Amino acid sequence: MKFWIRRIVFYLVTLWAAISLNFLLPRILPGDPVAIMLGKLRRGGRQLSQETVDAVTALLGGDKGSSLWEQYLAYWGRMLNGDLGVSSTRYPTPVGELIGQALPWTVTLVGAATIISFVLGIIGGAWVGWFRGTWVDQFVPVTTFLQSVPYFWLALVLVAVFSVQLGMLPIIGAYDVFEYPAGPEWRPAFFGSVFVHALLPAATIVISSVGGWLLGMRNMMVQTMAEDYVLTAEAKGLRPSRIRSAYAARNASIPSLAGFGIALGFVVAGSIVTEQVFSYPGIGKLMIQAVQGLDYALMQGVFLVITLTVLAANFLIDLLYGFIDPRVRRNG
Amino acid sequence: MLDNRWRKTLPLVAGAAALAFALGGCAPAGNSSSEDRPLRIWSGSMTPIANNFNPFAVDTATHMTYGAIYEPLFFFNQLSADEPVGLIGESYEFNEDGTVLTIRIKPDLKWSDDKDLTAADVAFSLGYASNLDPDMVSAEATDATTVVVTYKTPKFTSTSMILGSTWIIPEHIWADITDVLAETNPNPIGSGPYKLKAFTEAAYTLEANPLFREGEPDVKEVQDIGIDSNQSSEDLLKTGKLDWVGQFVANPDGITSNGHISTMNQQQDPTVITTCADVSLGCEGAQTDLAVRQALNLAIDRGAITDKAFAGLAGVSSPSFALLPRDEKWLGDPELAESPQQPDSAAAAEILEAAGYAKDDDGFYGKDGTPIELDLFSPDGWTDYNDAAKLISAQAAKAGIRVTARTVSEAEYWSQVANGQFQLALYGLTQSLVADPYSNYDQYFATPATAEVGQTPEKGQNYARYTNPVVDAAVVQAGSTLDEATKKAAYAAIQTEIARDLPYIPVVLNASQSFFNTSDFTGWPTTDDMYAAPLPYLSTASAVVLTHLRPSKK
Repeated sequence: MKFWIRRIVFYLVTLWAAISLNFLLPRILPGDPVAIMLGKLRRGGRQLSQETVDAVTALLGGDKGSSLWEQYLAYWGRMLNGDLGVSSTRYPTPVGELIGQALPWTVTLVGAATIISFVLGIIGGAWVGWFRGTWVDQFVPVTTFLQSVPYFWLALVLVAVFSVQLGMLPIIGAYDVFEYPAGPEWRPAFFGSVFVHALLPAATIVISSVGGWLLGMRNMMVQTMAEDYVLTAEAKGLRPSRIRSAYAARNASIPSLAGFGIALGFVVAGSIVTEQVFSYPGIGKLMIQAVQGLDYALMQGVFLVITLTVLAANFLIDLLYGFIDPRVRRNG
Repeated sequence: MLDNRWRKTLPLVAGAAALAFALGGCAPAGNSSSEDRPLRIWSGSMTPIANNFNPFAVDTATHMTYGAIYEPLFFFNQLSADEPVGLIGESYEFNEDGTVLTIRIKPDLKWSDDKDLTAADVAFSLGYASNLDPDMVSAEATDATTVVVTYKTPKFTSTSMILGSTWIIPEHIWADITDVLAETNPNPIGSGPYKLKAFTEAAYTLEANPLFREGEPDVKEVQDIGIDSNQSSEDLLKTGKLDWVGQFVANPDGITSNGHISTMNQQQDPTVITTCADVSLGCEGAQTDLAVRQALNLAIDRGAITDKAFAGLAGVSSPSFALLPRDEKWLGDPELAESPQQPDSAAAAEILEAAGYAKDDDGFYGKDGTPIELDLFSPDGWTDYNDAAKLISAQAAKAGIRVTARTVSEAEYWSQVANGQFQLALYGLTQSLVADPYSNYDQYFATPATAEVGQTPEKGQNYARYTNPVVDAAVVQAGSTLDEATKKAAYAAIQTEIARDLPYIPVVLNASQSFFNTSDFTGWPTTDDMYAAPLPYLSTASAVVLTHLRPSKK
């Protein structure tokens, strides 16, 4: 019981620290959003009345006058009420709404891609490890090479080949914006469009991340196959396929599962480059735009969602590990 | 048992891939008949597009709000010296001293909700929110088509601002809106050729306004799409999915080679090195010395910058800051038509040595033991500016001037430029919208347009902190007259001063490339008939182009 309490207290402290950092970080960034906005309004030589200047200052620099401590308290008050504030770059859209619209796309695309990449990597790694020393060993350098290719470049090449040259796959968006100008429709054809549009972005994520899973799994597999229990299984005359899956692969995949938990946590952060290259709606892009436009509320909202999911994923994996491996419980 | 599960998974993955290609193969290709398909444009919006059609939300509102939905009174074509074209407005005239402006609008106009558009709406708009000029005394509708606006000061030089970029809004709707900044106006009612049909975060569609004063435009639907990278937009143009964009493309032949897309390149807005020029306003650093600015001006190789940083597409800048040939008649001294395109290290050295600078052991100039060390910054990710800054740094080093190029985040860039906390900034000035360089001088060079370092200029954008009584007097003189000879003399005086003082060191004229589908749509501007700039992100001009377009008959 002591173990669980200690873990929970640890996570509560981490949560508090993360949320407080989340408050401080944007305020350390250089630049003044009020000056930026006024500069944009004045472009072209328009003279601004004092009312407009005051309105903009109230809007973007609202808590300039109060102390950092007061701002911090107010920030916690809003957090506890679930109020993430209003975006200044997309004024007056509430941050919660922006995140709510982006999150499903990110979670589906990046989540699916992460799972596919993990499954492919683990299955492939098990095979490559099993047939070590044969030609299949070539998979390791090939996939690690693909992982080291700059993601951006990989995406551009795939688009150039499959979308521009062959015309098979779409270039941008999460669905066909030309066919569905009024937005998502609940029809099978629309879901087909969504699926086709997710293929290239997902493929690039998978191609550039499968190598890591594969390499890790292959090495664990080779190591596990040297264990006594595998030898015993062989001596008992079990079918090789059964030894491979139930004895070797099963034990070899445990460390990868921990990594998978963390990778799932980062799904919510999105894949900034994917979203950029494919104009795919998502969280990563909101984050970049918030940082560039000094949109404190949006920045905080996005960071908060990411922090919470990463912490939650870690917590779950921690609990899972405690169940799987009693040693962790005792030493923790 | 895991084994069995895997066996089931693998074919599933393979099947999904096969299905994907099948779906991809039969996904509907772009409709080939142009008569019933929308014109698809990219006006530069990134996704998610904000659902905002409030013309006062300058930063967040969608591009088509400006011109296609809401209109100003007149269209000022910044490419020509012609008279402005009447949109809502029919004619306008100033009284003798420029303080009373009488505007006549066209009769029998309608808003897109079928209510009448009258002079009362115009008077209301001129006094509404950020449209309100602090110098305005009153705006009155004297009859259904006449508005008389009175100002405290002469407004000759604000003509294009008042008539060309003040958005006319319906009083019956906006009179009830109290918090203008918080308004998103999702169902815009305007007077322009189009009205909103559908909005999503990925794209929005406009449809022809049947009540438009010139009749419904020929292109019935326009879809403006959000795209996050220039490469995607190039690919969409190549595959015939997009019809009109305005963006930088280093190799335009790759897009135009299929014969459907044509391109144009306008060179308008000066890219300059803004210097924090004046010590009296708090500027610090070697660039406050006139000799250093002049030497730098001679040391940079504009030809190489144009070719290497701007892909050979940028135009030749003029130290007079008049746009040539448009503003030809306002150029005082023909010598000031062009900045030197080749570097002249010897001349730069001569200027520095005459001012008491000497080379140190490393070959860099300094004075009294203090070397010249200049800091040149540009916003991170503006690759053409970043490249130009690196070239300038290398070219200045050849002439013995040490300039360090660095990049900063966009937010940091804007606030430092606005506050004057910089030495050299690569910066883009906005060219005057009419064939008269007045707004350039008034906005960027006059003392009232600046502020001390640490403060943001409020009545202009003189971020160089430049102050010169001769320029100030000439700007006032030019602003209070309509007499061309007086104006030209005043401009000549300004041009001589600023070309010598170089608070902004001209680099190039920025290229504005546009690409448009000439095989499915006709009526685009041509080099012989530049009735408007074909740039989809440009207010009003984009709408003027839209009303000229027709689907081509096949």
